[in-house]
Amino acid sequence: MSSNLVELIRRHHGPVARTALQVLKEAVEDHGEVTDEDRLRAAEVSGLPEASVHGVSTFYDDLLQPRGRRHLRVCTGTACFAADGDLHVEELADGLGVGLGERSADGSVSLAETVCLGFCHSSPALRDGDRVDAGAGAVERALRGNTSEAPEPGWRSTLAEPVLTEPGRWLGLARALAEMTPAQLLDEVLAADVRGRGGAAFPAGEKWRFACSAAGEQKFVVANGDEGDPGSYIDKYLMERNPQLVLEGMALAGYAVGADHGFVLTRSEYPRSKPALERAVESARREGHLGDDISGSGFSFDVTVLEGAGSYVVGEETALLACLEGLRGTVSARPPFPAERGLYGAPTVVNNIETLANVPFIALRGADAYREISPGASTGSKLVCFNERFAAPGVYEVRFGETLRELCEVLAGGIRGGIKAVQIGGPLGGILPSWKLDTRFDFDALAAEGCMVGHGSIVGFDERTDMRALTRHLLRFGAHESCGKCFPCRIGLRRAHEMFESDAPVDRDHLEAVLEALEVASLCAHGGGMPAPIRSLLEHFPEELGLG
Amino acid sequence: MRVDVDGVELEVAPGASVLEAVERAGGRLPTLCFDDRLEPFGACRTCLVAVEGAPAPVPACTTRCREGMRIDTRDETATRVVTTVVELVLSELDRPPAPDTELARVVASLGVAAGRFTGATHEVDVDERHPYLAFRHELCISCGRCVRACDEVQGAFALTVTGRGFHSNVTAGLDSGFLDSSCVSCGACADTCPTGAIIERRLLTLERERDDDTD
Repeated sequence: MSSNLVELIRRHHGPVARTALQVLKEAVEDHGEVTDEDRLRAAEVSGLPEASVHGVSTFYDDLLQPRGRRHLRVCTGTACFAADGDLHVEELADGLGVGLGERSADGSVSLAETVCLGFCHSSPALRDGDRVDAGAGAVERALRGNTSEAPEPGWRSTLAEPVLTEPGRWLGLARALAEMTPAQLLDEVLAADVRGRGGAAFPAGEKWRFACSAAGEQKFVVANGDEGDPGSYIDKYLMERNPQLVLEGMALAGYAVGADHGFVLTRSEYPRSKPALERAVESARREGHLGDDISGSGFSFDVTVLEGAGSYVVGEETALLACLEGLRGTVSARPPFPAERGLYGAPTVVNNIETLANVPFIALRGADAYREISPGASTGSKLVCFNERFAAPGVYEVRFGETLRELCEVLAGGIRGGIKAVQIGGPLGGILPSWKLDTRFDFDALAAEGCMVGHGSIVGFDERTDMRALTRHLLRFGAHESCGKCFPCRIGLRRAHEMFESDAPVDRDHLEAVLEALEVASLCAHGGGMPAPIRSLLEHFPEELGLG
Repeated sequence: MRVDVDGVELEVAPGASVLEAVERAGGRLPTLCFDDRLEPFGACRTCLVAVEGAPAPVPACTTRCREGMRIDTRDETATRVVTTVVELVLSELDRPPAPDTELARVVASLGVAAGRFTGATHEVDVDERHPYLAFRHELCISCGRCVRACDEVQGAFALTVTGRGFHSNVTAGLDSGFLDSSCVSCGACADTCPTGAIIERRLLTLERERDDDTD
C-alpha cells in the first residue's frame, strides 16, 4: 500500500477516527448506493485524495451492489453449493425477478451475492436485511416475504478442560499481570508453539517476538476476524459467543509486545459479530479488564472494532491492514512485515481470532499444560466445524491427531448415503476423497496429502456432487475474490475459471501451466493456494472433470 | 555485502534488492511493474529468479539480498513460469502490444509468440478528453505504475486503481477524466506506462498514422 496515502490519513486523523471505507459503508446503508457526493464526503472525512476514495468504492462487494428498499443477499459459499448445487440461487433470482447484483426498476427489491454467511450448519442461507434465514424452506419464506431468524449452530468440546469453548474469564491476563513480565509471557507463548489458526500456520510467538524487537513507541494488536473461508464459522462462534476470550487474548498480546491498542476487523457478512464484540468491550471496560492501568499494573489496553465490506482477500494480513485504514483491500509485498511496519506504519501483531483465543489458557496454565492437550500431534486444541450435509453439524473443540474418519463419521455423524469427499480448511484447502479419511487431522499429516488445517472447516460432499461443477464453483470464487494486484492471480484465476465455465473439454497442459504460475508466482496465499483443491480434484476425480 | 549472480561474485550495498544485484552484474530481467523511480511493487511477477535455499523462485524486485546469497537468473522453473505470466498478460489484451512499448520488449526477450491462452479481454474504452493525454483502458494491465508515479513522484494523487481481480483498471479522479481530477498534466503516468494505455496524444496520433500506413 502507498506509504504516502497512509501518512495522509495518519496526519488527518488518529487511528480510531472514521475511515473513508466506513463513510462509504454508511452511505450504502443510508441510501442504497455510493454517489459522488458520498465519495467527496469520504475524502473530506478521511483525508484521502478523491481518486483514492473512488478506488476504494469500486473494490468492496458491499459498495458495488445497489440496494433496494428490501435487500436480499444469497449465500454462494461452498456449504450452500454442497447442499443443492446452487439451486437456491436460481430459485431466489427467478422468484424475485431480479438478477444477482441487480435492483428492481421500481427500487423495491435487490438481490446480491454473498460468500459466506457462516450458517453452513443450515444451508442454503440467505439474508433479508439484517436477518439471516437458512435451511429448508428459507427460499420459499424469502419469496413470501416472511423470513425467520435461523438458529445459530450448537457447539461442544471433546476435551475435559476446554481451551476455546469455556467463557473467557480474564484469569490468564490477571495471572500474567500479577506474576509475569512481558518477556516471560512471550517465552510461554513461544514454548507453547501456537501455530496460527487462520490458515498460514505461522507460529504466533514468532510474530510477537518480531513485533517486540521492532522499533517504535506505538504498536498495535490486530485480531483478524475476516473469516472469509466459505464453510467456516469458527471465528464467528468465538466473536459472537465467546468474545471475552478473544479480547483477553488481544490484551495478552498487547502486554507481551508493548501495544496499548487493539483492533478487531469483523466481516460484514456476519452482522452479529461487531455488536457482540462491542458489547463485550463495554463490559470488559466496566469490569476493569480493559482501559487505563488495568488492575493497577501500569498496563493499559483498549480495543476498537471495525467491520469490513465484502472481500475475501482482506483476510490476508497486509490487505487486512489496508482495509482497517479504509483503503482498497489489496495485498502488499512483504517485507516489510506488519510486525515491522503495520497499521499506520507502526509495528503490528496480526493474529487470527482463534489463535488469540488460545493465549488465555497458556497464560493461566502454562505452555506445558497446553502442549499436553494433543499428545504426539500439533500443540493445543482446534475448533472444527461441519456443514449441513453431516448428521450433526456444529462447532466442536477437538484434539489434534484424531483421524478425519473419527471427526466426520463419529463426531459429526457422517453423511446420509455416504461421504464422497471433504474439503478441509477453506477454499485453499485440498479435497480428500472418502478413501483417504484415515488421514489424521494435524498440520503435518494434512500437508502431506496436499491439504491443510486452515481455518478448520470441514465441508462434506455427498455422492450426488458433480466434481466438475465443484471445480467451477471454486474457481469462480477464486477469480471473483482476487484482489487484482498480482498478475498470475488476476489473470490466471480468470482463465482457469473460463476453462471450466462451458462444458468444453479442458486442455490439461494449459491448466497445468496456469496452476503452476499461480502456485509459484502469486503474491499471496489466495493465488498460491487456489490450485490445491483443483490439484486434489485432478488427482482423485480426473474422470469427472472433463479433461481433453 | 557479497552475492553471487549466475556464478559471478559481486559486492552490493546493504539493503539492495536482488534485481539491483542482477543488474549490477550486467544481467537483465523482464519487468513490467518495476520502475526504478518508484518503490518496488511486486505485482507483475516477471522478474522471478531462483535463490539458493528458497523452495521456489522469488521476485527479484521485492527480495532483499543477503550476505552470500546465490542467485540464478536462468532457472528453468522461473523462466517457464515467467513465460506463462507474460502469455496471460497477452491474453487479456485485444491486440498485440505496440512495438515500442516495454511490454513488446519483454515479450520479445522471452521469445513468446501470441501466447497459449484465450479468454475475455478488456473492453475498448478510449478517453481523449484531455488535450495532451489519452487513456486507452483496454490496454491497462494494472501494473499500478501510473498510480504510483502520480503518488510517489508528482504527489498529485490524481489516479487510482479501480475494480478488483480481472476487472482491475485505472482511472483519474472520480472516474471523471484527467481534466476534472487533481491531475497537473505532468505526463509522469504516460512516461512510465509499459503498454501505452496512457499515452501522449501526439504519440497516439503517430501510432494511428503508422497503423493506417500498414493497413
